[in-house]
Amino acid sequence: MTDPVILLQILWTGIAMSSYFVLFTVAFALTLKVEKLWNFAQAGLMGIAFYTMFWSLNAANWPVWAGISASVILTAGVTIGVEIWAIDVLRRRHSSGLIFFIFTLIFSQFVAFLLTLLFGTEPETIFPSVMSPVRIVGGIAISDWDLQAVGLTLGMLIALYLLIRFTRDGQFMLAVADNEKLAGIYGISARRVYILSGVISAVLIVAGIWLYGTRAGVTPDVPVGLILTAVIATLIGGLGRVFSAAIVAVGLALLQSFSILFISSKWQALLLYGVLFCALLLFPRGIPAWRWRRVRPVAKSAATAQAGG
Amino acid sequence: MTEKLSRRLVLSVPAALWAGGAFAQQKEPFRFGALMPTTGPEAGYGLDFVKTYEMAVKDINDNGGVAGRPLEMIVLDTQAKPELAINAANKLIEVNKVSVIITAWSSVVKAVAPIANRTATLELNMGANSPDIANLGEYVYTVFPLAEVDVTALAKYTREKLGKTKAAVLYINNDTGIGGAKIYRDVFTSAGGQVVAFEAYDPKATDFTGVLLKARVGNPDVVHIHGLSELPQVIAQMRQLGMLQQVTSYSSGYNPKLLAQLGPAAEGLIVTSLAPTATTNPNVAKLLDLWKQVGRAPNGLPYLQYAWDSTVVVADLFAWVDKNKLPVTGENLRKALLEIRTFDLPMTGKLVVTDDHRIKKPVYLYVVKNGQFTPLDTIA
Repeated sequence: MTDPVILLQILWTGIAMSSYFVLFTVAFALTLKVEKLWNFAQAGLMGIAFYTMFWSLNAANWPVWAGISASVILTAGVTIGVEIWAIDVLRRRHSSGLIFFIFTLIFSQFVAFLLTLLFGTEPETIFPSVMSPVRIVGGIAISDWDLQAVGLTLGMLIALYLLIRFTRDGQFMLAVADNEKLAGIYGISARRVYILSGVISAVLIVAGIWLYGTRAGVTPDVPVGLILTAVIATLIGGLGRVFSAAIVAVGLALLQSFSILFISSKWQALLLYGVLFCALLLFPRGIPAWRWRRVRPVAKSAATAQAGG
Repeated sequence: MTEKLSRRLVLSVPAALWAGGAFAQQKEPFRFGALMPTTGPEAGYGLDFVKTYEMAVKDINDNGGVAGRPLEMIVLDTQAKPELAINAANKLIEVNKVSVIITAWSSVVKAVAPIANRTATLELNMGANSPDIANLGEYVYTVFPLAEVDVTALAKYTREKLGKTKAAVLYINNDTGIGGAKIYRDVFTSAGGQVVAFEAYDPKATDFTGVLLKARVGNPDVVHIHGLSELPQVIAQMRQLGMLQQVTSYSSGYNPKLLAQLGPAAEGLIVTSLAPTATTNPNVAKLLDLWKQVGRAPNGLPYLQYAWDSTVVVADLFAWVDKNKLPVTGENLRKALLEIRTFDLPMTGKLVVTDDHRIKKPVYLYVVKNGQFTPLDTIA
């Protein structure tokens, strides 16, 4: 098992498999950073995104682009609806964090039951076949799915980075994340920013569930398990640090993959929760190596830009 | 007077028949329970089992019922989870007052067993194959061959007929996988083969790369995978890692959906079946005709044949108890099972109940060829 080819294979497959965890984690961490919301409703959004694509491509026989578009539109639409008619209402009522948490959890369960009624509980994949063409490069098997997963995830992360770093909307998001009231004084609409971050998260979720659903079977209760990994990565990465959480998601996937060298594979899932347990005890505010990278207070410059512009 | 009586008799016969039929329908039905996963990941099989029970119950009732009384089934959902199965079993026994329960899925059969033994309720396994089922107590019997039947036959066939010398055994980490994998390992080894990898994977896993690479290191010439609904994903990832070895599995692999998910990657896969096909048993064709009315191909046809036959067994037990004028209790139904012993069943043939709680059946081997399950061999 210490053959370099095997190690490289585990590394490559681990990175490819981490792709959807990264996308779910970034979606979760972004909402937490901007809205200060532990949005477990994203598990429900994953279900909506998956079954929209599944229905579009298998029952309605739409082309792939149409299925993906429908999924993005519906998932983003539901996100906006939940934001306007539920989250915003709770915010105006000054509801406690616990109420938000419970609401989002109930929303996810509601969606899961609804999808169960509509689509049943048999595991389904987006395409009937789960096979993907493979090429062997230096003894390492690289499938089209692997390349698509890594490429799509990198593309999404770069786009998100550029959006946050170089666009006015991105700076507004940082401003609201840093101090919502101050941003408001400078004329930045927090509500608009919340909707924008929600839509971005919805797109990330659609991309993530696309990758998952083209490789493994999905049932309506699968997303609840998927969001747990996102929560773990967000906790270890440190609250409010979106890209750190993404790196942790990759790290957790690799840890699980490489653990096969030392422990039986049936213990791999336990390892994930063991890491979370230790991380929460030892680093309740995230891994210290990343603490120095605090988000610089760009809110002021962004707010000034808004006021000036 | 005679003429008058005759006329009255003639006139009264249709009325009596009608009244008798109605009376039969009004008679207290013989009730049995079925614990099946009608929701959850295993519902694909569970719902089809239930549908088949309904077909069998209807067939029995259409033919006069059991000793003039209708047969009635009460189905409760287990999601194939032991904790739900325990609640459901208690409800069937305490609330619905059933004396016989049909179960499947090894973890469910095991979870229900202590309740069955404690309450003297007969538990009949119709689809689980963990070898442990034979040792679950005096009220737990199986009408489905346990893993030692088909897995033993498969392991021997792989070693002796196919000449494979090195096997990797991968299995799902639950009762079904653990029991079956151990049997395969022991039989293959005792037949002179070598098991180069023996690895379990988590039931919720989606990435099997590590397990497969561990298997690849041993350079096996056959890979036996003892899994459930995740089986296509394991085989897909195996092929994508460039592992082209012969793959074998047991009866859960005999599933048309697997062929659709794997396409050409399924070619060469060897699976087992424990029931005859429509070509060798006309009754199976009748079952398939009923499924045509449903509008789709059923999942796991051999299992459905056992589902049908387990209903027939239950009906025979009720008939024996009724004939001997005994009250319908689990104790008497168990007595009936052991008294009758040999059942001639329409879908799977002869069933002999033995004192060691095991049964023997012929094993039918299939290989995937040109995208279809093709008969490979039959091991009596």
